[in-house]
This record gives sequence, structure tokens and C-alpha cells, in this order.
Amino acid sequence: MTESCAAPIPFAALVEYWCGELDAAAEARIEEHFLGCASCSAALQSLAALSSGVRAAFREGALHAAISAPFLEEMKRQGLRLREYRVAPGESVHCTIAASDDAVISRLQAPLVGIGRLDLVSMNERGELRYRLEDIPFDPEAGEVIFCPATAALKQHPVRIYRFRLLAVGADGERTLGDYTFIHTPS
Amino acid sequence: MEVTRGGAASDADLVRTIADAAPVCDSQAEAELYRRLAPRVRLYGLRHLRDIQAAADLTQQVLLMTIEKLRAGALREPEKLASFVLGTCRLVVLDLRRGALRREALLRRYGAAAESEAPAPPDTLERQKLARCLEGLAERERSVLIASFFADKSAAEVGRTLGFSAENARVIRHRALLRLRDCMGVAKEAP
Repeated sequence: MTESCAAPIPFAALVEYWCGELDAAAEARIEEHFLGCASCSAALQSLAALSSGVRAAFREGALHAAISAPFLEEMKRQGLRLREYRVAPGESVHCTIAASDDAVISRLQAPLVGIGRLDLVSMNERGELRYRLEDIPFDPEAGEVIFCPATAALKQHPVRIYRFRLLAVGADGERTLGDYTFIHTPS
Repeated sequence: MEVTRGGAASDADLVRTIADAAPVCDSQAEAELYRRLAPRVRLYGLRHLRDIQAAADLTQQVLLMTIEKLRAGALREPEKLASFVLGTCRLVVLDLRRGALRREALLRRYGAAAESEAPAPPDTLERQKLARCLEGLAERERSVLIASFFADKSAAEVGRTLGFSAENARVIRHRALLRLRDCMGVAKEAP
């Protein structure tokens, strides 16, 4: 149990501090406060633990996520071993993952300019729904969705066919931007 | 000096005790002050150096310098300990960045102690729980957190690459962290 603080640093300010978004004066005020405050330093420690936990979970392949091209470059810069598969709409690709790989990257090509909401649907080889990821983030100018599946689970899978579908969702319904097939073979 | 758990003696009290005891070393007061300051200085180090080992090196250096100064009575206003520690942190970070303090030498000198100060990795159960909590976030929330913390990107950078504004990225990040904090059960411990 830590001592309480009469004027705790707001959580939003702690986050901006941790992410390096404050000016020098605001940063110094926060640092002088938490260096003398058990309660606020404990709050900052909780935030630091969450941020390192997110980093570790992603690095260990426990999470799936839609990522950006600059983020993919950052993964390479950090030395992660990656397998990349670039697939055009309607195409299929043979893919695998080795025990030593850190991640598999699916680069789904699609026209994205003008799209408001984008969903990614995953189906098995019979076309049955596995999951639907709603409102995934994307760069409209990129012309592709870069998806990183949860690698840890993927490494356990036997020979399997995965089908992905990108859907543009709008007020007038949804339309398919592309279907993509991954024929997975264990390494 | 008798130091009770729960903070009966303030940081400033400990500073006075250490200064008053000189030239004798009040190891109990020094140990208590070290126990309180080490995690705070380590956070400063993690924020500025983004490296666990470098943050541990910084912590060792800053606290050795601080306690040395306190023994010498160099801090005339004990209530300004945090300001003094902050100034020392800045100096040591500058030194570390200039390479004036050689990492290898620090490791040789403080390796064992620094290792013991490194934050313990969350246990398997916590990791599994965190992964479940992260899976429960919206896709945008998870992507923003991963981009923010795996790649150390600001909200402006995250927004630019994921297709939304800096302010939107900041809002998504904040909401995601609150949800994650709630899911992990740490919401009540923070202000």
C-alpha cells in the first residue's frame, strides 16, 4: 500500500509523459513530482508494466494485429525474423512458419481509397466463419492491409487452408474488396 | 534511526538522519531511502533510455551519488530531495549518452546489484491474463497500443501510419489503456 497523494498526476498526463509527448517544462514538473511521490511513481510503474507487457505479448506472438508499413520496418529493425506473403485479390499462396520465426506477415492487396470502415473475415476451407475483425485500422493510400496473426497459435496448426476476405462496410451495406487464400503447411 | 514501514519517516526525515549521522553511516536510513528512490529513478531511466539494463545502471549511479552527497551534508534543504535527484538523473543520463560512463565498466562494478534491480517479468498467469485482456480490445485499440509500445511511437506517428489524426490516436490509446487497466484489475491502485 502506497501513501496517498494530495495532487495526483492525471493518468492522461502520465501516458503522455511515458510516450514522450510533453514539452520540456511539463516533463520536468512530472519528473520532480513522481521522484518525490510514492503514489504517483506506483501509478507510473503500473503504466510501465502495461507497456512492457504489451511489447512482450506482441514479440512472443500472443497477439494478432493490423499494422502499418513503417511498423513492419520497425519489426525488422528490431531483428525479428519474419516471413512475408503478399497476396492479390483472388489469389492463393503456400505459406509456412518455422519454429525460429517470430512472425508471419500477410500483405493483402486491395483498393482502399474512399473506404470508411474495413472488416477482415477469416474462414476455414469450407468457407465457415472463424472470426471477424471489425473496423481494422488501415492507411487508405497504402493499397494493402498488413496483418500479423498470433504467431504462437499458428505454430501449432497442422496443414490447413485459411481464407480471408476484406469487406468495405458502409451505410449502404458491405462489399467484398478481395478474397485471399493461404495454404498453410507446418515447417 | 528507527524506520517504520508505511512511511512514518518522510524522505526529508531520512535525508536529515543520514546527514546528522555523518561521518558514521546510518545504514538503515540509507537502505530505506534507497528502497524508496530506486524504483522511481529506474522509471526515469526507462523513460529516457528505453533499456532495462541502462536504467539499472542509471539507478545505481544516481543513488550512489545521491547518498554520497547526503552523507556530506550537501543537500541543505532536505525537502528538495526530488529536485536534487532529478538533477542528478539528468547529469547521469547525459554522461551515459556521451559514453563517458562505459557500460562494460558499470556492468563489472554493479552487475549483480543492477540485475537485482531489474523489474521482474510478469509471471505466466499475468502474461496470459494480459494477452486475454489485449484480445478483448477493439482492433484499433490493440493496433494503437502495439504501435505505441512495441515501436515507441507518439500518438502523432501512430495516427499518421494507421490512418487517423494524432488526437484520435491519443483518444484511442487512452481508452485502450483504461480498459486494459480495468481488465487487469489495477485501476484502483492508480490515481
